[in-house]
Amino acid sequence: MNSRVVTAVLIVGLAFSFLTVTQQLGSWHLPGNQQGYEPVQPIAFSHRLHAGEMQISCLYCHSGAEVSRHAGIPAASTCMNCHRFVSAPLGALRAEDEKAKQENRRPRPLVSPEIQKIYDALALDDHLTRDPQKFLQPVAWTRINRLPDFVYFNHSAHVNSGVACQKCHGPIETMDRVRQAPDLTMGWCVNCHRTANAAGVASRPVQPSTDCSTCHY
Amino acid sequence: MGSEKPSRYWKSWEEGPGATGLVQISTSEFPEPLDRPAEQFNRRSFLKAAGFAAAVAAAGAGCSRAPVEKAIPYLIQPEEIVPGVSYFYASTCGGCATGCGVLVKNLDGRPIKLEGNPEHPLSRGGLCAVGQASLLALYDSQRLKAPQAKGRIASWQEVDEQIAAQLASIRTSGGAVRVLSGTISSPTLNAEIQKFLLQFRDARHVVYDGLSSSAILDAHQQTHGERLLPHYRFNRATVIVSFDADFLGTWISPVEFSRDFADGRRIDSRSPQMSYHAQLESRMSLTGSKADRRISVEPHELGEIMLRIGARLAQLAGSAFPIAARTQDNSYDTVIEDLARRLWESRGRSLVVCGSQDVRLQILGNFINDLLGNYGATLDIERPSQQRQGNDANLQSLLDDLDKGNVAALFLHGVNPAYDLPGGQALVQAIERTPLVVSFAERLDETSALAHFICPDHHPLESWSDAEPVRGTLGIFQPAIHPLGKTRPVLESLAIWRGQPRPAYDILRDHWRGSVFPQQTIEPDFQTFWDRSVEAGYSEIRLKTSKPPRFQAASLKPFSQSSPAAGELSLVLYPKISMLDGRHAENPWLQELPDPISKVTWDNYACLSPGTAQRLGLREGDVVRLEVDIDAVHSPPLELPVFIQPGQHDQVIAVALGYGRKSTERFANAGPKWLFGGSDVDEDGRIGKNTAPMLALVGGSLQYIRDNVRLSKIGKRHALASTQTHHSLTMPRELPIVGGEHRDIVRETTIAALLAGEKKTVPVSPATNGLWPADHRYTGHRWAMAIDLTACTGCSGCVIACQAENNIPVVGKDEVLRHREMHWMRIDRYYTGEQDVDVVYQPMLCQQCDNAPCETVCPVLATVHSAEGLNQQIYNRCVGTRYCANNCPYKTRRFNWFDYVRNDRLQNLVLNPDVTVRSRGVMEKCSFCVQRIEVARIESNRVGKPIADGQIQTACQQSCPSQAIVFGDLNDPNSRVAQMARDPRRFGVLEEFNFRPAVNYLTVVRNRDSHEENSKVNQNNG
Amino acid sequence: MADFVLTTRAPLIAGNKTPADVTRDICHSLEGRPTPLWWGSFLFAASLLLLGTLAVSYEIATGIGTWGVNRTVGWAVGITSFVFWIGIGHAGTLISAILFLLRQRWRTSVNRSAEAMTIFAVICAGIFPVIHLGRPWMAYWLFPYPNTRGSLWVNFRSPLVWDAFAISTYFTISLVFWLLGLIPDLATVRDRLRGGFRQRLASVMSLGWNGSFRTWHRYESVYLMLAGLATPLVLSVHTIVSWDFATGVIPGWHATIFPPYFVAGAIFSGVAMVLTLVIVARKTMHLEDYITLRHIDVMCKLLLLTSGIVGIAYVTEFFNALYSTNPYEEFAFLNRAFGPLGWAYAIMVSCNVLIPQLLWFRKVRRTLWIVFPISILINVGMWFERFVIIVTSLQRDFLPSSWAGYRPTPIELSMLLGSFGLFFTLFLLFCRLLPVVAMAEVKGVLHVGREPRGPDPERVMVGSSAQGRGMDAAGIREGGPE
Repeated sequence: MNSRVVTAVLIVGLAFSFLTVTQQLGSWHLPGNQQGYEPVQPIAFSHRLHAGEMQISCLYCHSGAEVSRHAGIPAASTCMNCHRFVSAPLGALRAEDEKAKQENRRPRPLVSPEIQKIYDALALDDHLTRDPQKFLQPVAWTRINRLPDFVYFNHSAHVNSGVACQKCHGPIETMDRVRQAPDLTMGWCVNCHRTANAAGVASRPVQPSTDCSTCHY
Repeated sequence: MGSEKPSRYWKSWEEGPGATGLVQISTSEFPEPLDRPAEQFNRRSFLKAAGFAAAVAAAGAGCSRAPVEKAIPYLIQPEEIVPGVSYFYASTCGGCATGCGVLVKNLDGRPIKLEGNPEHPLSRGGLCAVGQASLLALYDSQRLKAPQAKGRIASWQEVDEQIAAQLASIRTSGGAVRVLSGTISSPTLNAEIQKFLLQFRDARHVVYDGLSSSAILDAHQQTHGERLLPHYRFNRATVIVSFDADFLGTWISPVEFSRDFADGRRIDSRSPQMSYHAQLESRMSLTGSKADRRISVEPHELGEIMLRIGARLAQLAGSAFPIAARTQDNSYDTVIEDLARRLWESRGRSLVVCGSQDVRLQILGNFINDLLGNYGATLDIERPSQQRQGNDANLQSLLDDLDKGNVAALFLHGVNPAYDLPGGQALVQAIERTPLVVSFAERLDETSALAHFICPDHHPLESWSDAEPVRGTLGIFQPAIHPLGKTRPVLESLAIWRGQPRPAYDILRDHWRGSVFPQQTIEPDFQTFWDRSVEAGYSEIRLKTSKPPRFQAASLKPFSQSSPAAGELSLVLYPKISMLDGRHAENPWLQELPDPISKVTWDNYACLSPGTAQRLGLREGDVVRLEVDIDAVHSPPLELPVFIQPGQHDQVIAVALGYGRKSTERFANAGPKWLFGGSDVDEDGRIGKNTAPMLALVGGSLQYIRDNVRLSKIGKRHALASTQTHHSLTMPRELPIVGGEHRDIVRETTIAALLAGEKKTVPVSPATNGLWPADHRYTGHRWAMAIDLTACTGCSGCVIACQAENNIPVVGKDEVLRHREMHWMRIDRYYTGEQDVDVVYQPMLCQQCDNAPCETVCPVLATVHSAEGLNQQIYNRCVGTRYCANNCPYKTRRFNWFDYVRNDRLQNLVLNPDVTVRSRGVMEKCSFCVQRIEVARIESNRVGKPIADGQIQTACQQSCPSQAIVFGDLNDPNSRVAQMARDPRRFGVLEEFNFRPAVNYLTVVRNRDSHEENSKVNQNNG
Repeated sequence: MADFVLTTRAPLIAGNKTPADVTRDICHSLEGRPTPLWWGSFLFAASLLLLGTLAVSYEIATGIGTWGVNRTVGWAVGITSFVFWIGIGHAGTLISAILFLLRQRWRTSVNRSAEAMTIFAVICAGIFPVIHLGRPWMAYWLFPYPNTRGSLWVNFRSPLVWDAFAISTYFTISLVFWLLGLIPDLATVRDRLRGGFRQRLASVMSLGWNGSFRTWHRYESVYLMLAGLATPLVLSVHTIVSWDFATGVIPGWHATIFPPYFVAGAIFSGVAMVLTLVIVARKTMHLEDYITLRHIDVMCKLLLLTSGIVGIAYVTEFFNALYSTNPYEEFAFLNRAFGPLGWAYAIMVSCNVLIPQLLWFRKVRRTLWIVFPISILINVGMWFERFVIIVTSLQRDFLPSSWAGYRPTPIELSMLLGSFGLFFTLFLLFCRLLPVVAMAEVKGVLHVGREPRGPDPERVMVGSSAQGRGMDAAGIREGGPE
């Protein structure tokens, strides 16, 4: 009798844990593996729109990638190069023009809320001049693709040897919100270096080292 | 965090940076008002300057997620800063008055390393330990961040108002105004000081040096009718005789002299020749340790010997010699004869230098140099040096004035008289009595604490200034970072008090336009001249050569010296390469730098010769009391631990200056604190003891040698934190059989032996008899190093350079006592010989062995061999078994015993972002500066050019003043390192064990006759 | 002839014990309340253990810097104690496995405690390699396992990796061997006790033993197999531990003599420790009849032998060094004997080589109050042997510039004490919870059962000698649950 109760309990427990585990298994990561990390950013900047549709070169904003270890996040001033003129989606502007024509009045200036955030960061008023009342507020983006401090990854080394951005950042040009595509484990890096050694990058022969001190020093 | 000035934003929008962009950056990228708390301000400026900042927010991302990290980009992209790329700005070293040229390595908007400027005509790429370490002072959180009035923080406005008011009253009353400063080689500042003083009836600028050479200048006043300091050219001399002048260590311009000296002794083994250097000194100095012939003499014998050499030379020259030498003892006859002969044979190519503060000896030295026709050849007085301008006579009179209370206003710049002058309490009271005392000190030190107003100067890396170390050779200081505090350059302060406030940049520029530009002939217009100069960091101008003054024989007057009775001890006060006169006592890197000779850190001590120590029954570490009573002032007794110094004269006690500073109290917890950890400071809470009270300001010059010293043992003991406890390659005698056996770790030979073509051939074991197959093929590069032990002076610049480059922690005195110093690069120092010892230095760093014993034993593959011959240490894989360190035959591996003190946020800005900061429990060691190799590799891939020889320089190599270290690719047969590796003098340490070190050493060569050498060898093995 | 027979075949167990007596005597100590003596020693051991635990926690929290080790001497008390305890751990397996295979029947009364000692010693030893790591929480990196580092394995050239394998294997085998040997006795205990924790423990651990012939048969064959399996380990483990040093380049470590030298040393120290323990156990638990002077005598002879081997090793080391004409080797050994740590060397030689020579005398071997201190001194000596090998070699190696001294800190020493605390705590618990003498096996060497009346030595000898093994089986069968 007693033992039967025990067996029953055990079975139930097993079943439960099995179910939970199988559910977790899909999204299970080793500690520190951030694959799929997709945080909400202060500004809903869309790579799909800019890199995908507009076909703006990655290096226009991430100019550091060619010369530096860091690709760099563009300064708000870089955004302003375009958004001094583009303040809202084209569709919205057209619609406003239509409405204006019908109501035969001058179209009101439209500013989409997201772009407004850039203006706020730079403390600009409606005429895009510095507003002495406001303060400069740097945009604090949330970092996504992070390596441990003891790893020295160098963007320029990879970009200059012809590695495509997508190789590590995934189909970035299709992402509205940026997501960490690969798991960024050491194995992932090393395997790419190995294959590149054999096959080269973009049909160009390269010699990526697999020495430890290539990344750790 | 942002600029409140409305105009700023759009203005800097189009505006490109000037030739020296940093001005723009500093105004547009650090726009915070300066009255923010400095700590916070620094953090923010750093956060913004560094393109990426870790502002760790609450970890909202579940337990398996790393904490959320914010990335804060610029708002306004400055033109020439790319996050992660380092830039070099040419400037001048502010470590001391010597004014060597430096390149400031800037990364993410802050200086992280100083390198010697290879183009600079004086230092030529070298930089000494002090220069390297002066970077750390920039990030010193105890620097004054704001002016002080009557001991409390004040605003510049009120300080200026009060000072101006008092100065006005002085102008009317006509009180005496004195500016007391150290040597200022900056023409602009000197001019500004003169302008400032012009408004007062009785005003004078008094200069003195803690390490005074005023006797030399006074001597030339008498012999050449002009108070000047010759520019010594050691590279032009084939015979160098130095009377107690430590010109490789601390005398006037060591970096320049080391380079010149080494150049005169660089040996091509095929046609070997080198200059001859004899050193007569009472203590063991760095220079003496490199001498071909070193004679240890009692301080007072120097004069006698100089006299007799002078007499002999006069005899040879057939000219008159007015002074009769007291030749009762002929102990030095052979020496004198030999030296005189050598000097005479190389007239015009010889050089006699004298470090004594006795004007009569200096006159004698000038006489000898003139007799040998060295003026104009090895001593340049057309373009004299301005690196020492101290005038002790003026100082004396100023002190008298102060004592009498005749001084109405005293301005102190770059000096600390309350600490480094004798006179003690009396002087302090005299300063306190002075109605107006203004100090420009960067810190609250012994003197500035007495001042009514402290108007802190910028750190040299924050300010615009210039320097003229040698007439016609000007250096420029340019700011490499926005001032970290509310400090103000002296130039500006003086200008404001003159009632003509202008920024230092303008003052400097105008002075150059006014006085420097006209003197030069190359550039047509000022702007290009200015830009060129700022870009290069220096400017050489052709001076219209006026006829140099001639030697006046009349100045040579007879004198006789009183030498103390035999057996009586005299005290010699000397500067250490790290502490100098104590100006950098607050710098932990320098405090922990082992003295090249004694290898002791964190202390000063009474050096005694082994003989004397034995005679007095003293062991190392016994505390003794030293007393010197002077008729003028009675100095308080000094209690110091004994250090036994071979090669020192038996009648001498040598003690280092520059210790016991108030500012060293900060080191109370320099090291890790734990249950049984000892204290890092002495009982009085400071590091070492101040010896300045033992100095004497008599006969118009500061005297560093005192007679009639009483020494008494006071039963206490004091442990000296030494990094080397066994000093000889000869095994201890107490062991039977091998006692006295000599280890072949450093090779020595003589020029004669080389000429005879005899070279030690070393059995290098072939590759086949290794335990592992030779599995390193090195198809690409093969990094290696060569170190010329003949050139190495042991100056230890490389040690600090390495520390700065590789984020090496300071561990504190207690840890050093436990043999746990962390330096990756150390200078091994060995004595050979018994009575007159020889010294050899061996820079010892990871030898990057091909058959590395450490690699086979690491269980987790944390240390492995790279395809380019590097022995890689992977910190993040290390579990800390310490097996590799045990198995390392060179003991060059360092273990992180604790999490070392890194709690000073400001200080941490000095860390090199290109090198991992090691955590507790992992092994570390020299990496051949692999981070520099990687940068060069990536750059060469980018531009598509192969890495050129000499393109990669390790930190130690870069700063080596005598260019002893060469790094490069052994696979490139034309590389310098490959050539040196083929040199017959080449040897590897412990090669016979087939470790196959990648560091090649070149045998020490001394300019000696081989019989002399043989006798020495016999001595070693005897 | 008769004399000869008598002297050699004297009974292993004194006092005409019947199997029932054996059971009663051995189980008595389990069933009664613990004596004040036991409580006293237990509290002492436990407090030592507590001290050690505190020291270890502090060290792990603060860093290896809390030890006296430095840049030159990277290993000291920690690794010394590790090697020491591994050495202790050798006697158990030696006595139970090798002597079993060699049919040394006297082993039966000591093998249980010897094996227990092995287990506990290896536990103590196993702690040190972990806590001496700079980052103990990374200790699992010493084992190869599939990882995401593409893929990064351990360094199979490193003796420390071999250690990890050797020691874990040794521990597992010894543990299984010990537990297996316990089964019949636990069955006895199970059947004697009436309820209570111990009874439940015994019934679980005796794995449903029923004493049937088949059970016995299986039991014996498994035991034999395990014995065969364990035997090579006795040699392998300490050989591998010795390679930690022998594969190094440091003069004084780099020696081919190390494996045999270390194994002999290990057995030496192990047997000494067994002696120490059984002499105590004998007194406190009144086992004089089971652990007779003869046992002591035999083990003393074993000590004498191994002490001889160790002594020869010391001499050989010196000879090799001086004969090698390698100045560094020569210096290393002279420095060992005459250098700053010469005193440690003196302790080692006198305790390991000189003092044991007393055991040549039968009188000494059979006088407990002499044997006991000797056995302790030997362990002191063996600890110092490892200390001398490790520290003096490191202290002054190739470059005189980096020669350094070494002074242990209180933290280190309390860790050493703590390991002793752990060892004795475990051993005392073992004395309370499990039969300290292998009853089943002892019953096998009893001399009763053939003769209804009191045994007449002469006859028994003849009998036993005539039908040697057959009688064991009988004896053992009697040993089943009553």
